[in-house]
Amino acid sequence: MKLQLGYIDISGVEFADKSEIKNGILYVNEKEIVAEVLQDEHLKAARLEITKPGESCRITPVKDVIQPRCKVEGPGGVFPGWMHKVDTVGSGKTHVLRGVNVVTAGKIVGFQEGIIDMTGPGADYTPFSQFNNLVLVVEPKEGIHPHQYEKAARLAGLKVATMLGELSRELKADETEEFETLGIKEGIEKYPDLPRVGYVMMLQSQGLLHDTYVYGVDMKQSLTTMIMPTETMDGAIISGNCVSACDKNTTFHHLNNPVIAELFKEHGKTLNFVGVIITNENVYLADKMRSSDWTAKLAEFLQLDGAIVSQEGFGNPDTDLIMNCKKLEERGIKTVIITDEYAGQDGKSQSLADADAAADAVVTGGNANMVVKLPALERVIGSTEFVNVIAGGHDGSLQADGSIEGELQMITGATNEMGFNKLSAR
Amino acid sequence: MVKEIERTGLPVVHVCTVTPISMTVGANRIVPAVAIPHPLGNPGLSREEEYELRSKLVEKSLRALETEVSDQTIFES
Repeated sequence: MKLQLGYIDISGVEFADKSEIKNGILYVNEKEIVAEVLQDEHLKAARLEITKPGESCRITPVKDVIQPRCKVEGPGGVFPGWMHKVDTVGSGKTHVLRGVNVVTAGKIVGFQEGIIDMTGPGADYTPFSQFNNLVLVVEPKEGIHPHQYEKAARLAGLKVATMLGELSRELKADETEEFETLGIKEGIEKYPDLPRVGYVMMLQSQGLLHDTYVYGVDMKQSLTTMIMPTETMDGAIISGNCVSACDKNTTFHHLNNPVIAELFKEHGKTLNFVGVIITNENVYLADKMRSSDWTAKLAEFLQLDGAIVSQEGFGNPDTDLIMNCKKLEERGIKTVIITDEYAGQDGKSQSLADADAAADAVVTGGNANMVVKLPALERVIGSTEFVNVIAGGHDGSLQADGSIEGELQMITGATNEMGFNKLSAR
Repeated sequence: MVKEIERTGLPVVHVCTVTPISMTVGANRIVPAVAIPHPLGNPGLSREEEYELRSKLVEKSLRALETEVSDQTIFES
């Protein structure tokens, strides 16, 4: 399967009467987009706000970050199962708006969402401070259930990203990249001497609004399966979770998975990137055992020599992570795990809830319990009323002067376990 | 907490869903629970069925408490 990504560079975002992309500027007709978002009967109000890198601006509570994309050649459309039918994506050509993201914000669940600072110390911890952000702030109708609202907000973000992506359909890409995954036999014949490496991507699926969707399917209802790496670039996997925002994969992360990017870079040179196994992190022990067995079974069937496993979240998913690692290593597949740590504010506690000697190659995204101080910023998009109760905050996190003291886990993407962040340790 | 209480000489039964974690942290008597969001119950059952489930879980835990063990033990049935 072969996919071309055509990058359309976006250097700024402005409101205008007509939505279009001209000379690298994304012009947005707010009225038109809000009208489309409010088609959803669960939403009472919506508005757009623009912020850019370096601005004294804080966005919270952040639910998701989505990069606008548009399928210009080949079957299917972006975000299959939601914005388009479920046709298989991942081949042909897709346009990517590079430099701008849609951020969904507003009172969604409150304690589950995260913070993005566009300047100051907080900006160093989140990758999303480096983009022009078009923030979609939504408000629910009274009386709807949280799960209905979560879905409405999730789809509103995808809808806006799809509409903006469409604006690039007729444009010429500033840069093009190509990614190809070979069939099993072809791969072995072409690279007989390179080690066969696979990627095991663990997806958050604990329920209670901690979910991830693949072609519209709730991953907690699926067994471990496979996906072509280029399918992820077309939005086959989307985020439906953000609690403890530091180590949750936003939809942006799924579209721009750095593990997949690096494996493609090395493909044909130092290794043969065989494919991607996706598995879940369910709340029943039997599910954890079954899913990790399935991971190892697929990896063995693919005759992998090595595997990289990325986790999403922490706590009981540490057990899924360790089970995956142990069972892969038992089959002679050399395994590296990517995780983050909850080692206490002083960093002295046990980092993971589970452990095993087989997990002897570990990459960390940082300690999520580390305390950070975020100064007051001039502008707030959304509301700071949940800062005291979001995961990582505490009673008194929001100080009288508007500054915030709390754990790193409040910050969206700060200890991301795909490695889309700057923190690590040796 | 399991280990600290046992250190004082009192036997402890750890009722928990993810028994591998309980094994890793060193509990001696482990009784598997239902699920992480609802370890001691099941919202999918009727009131009567759930009462029975809970009562059996407590009885099993009490039996585990009075059972001699020589190694870390998971009481599956």
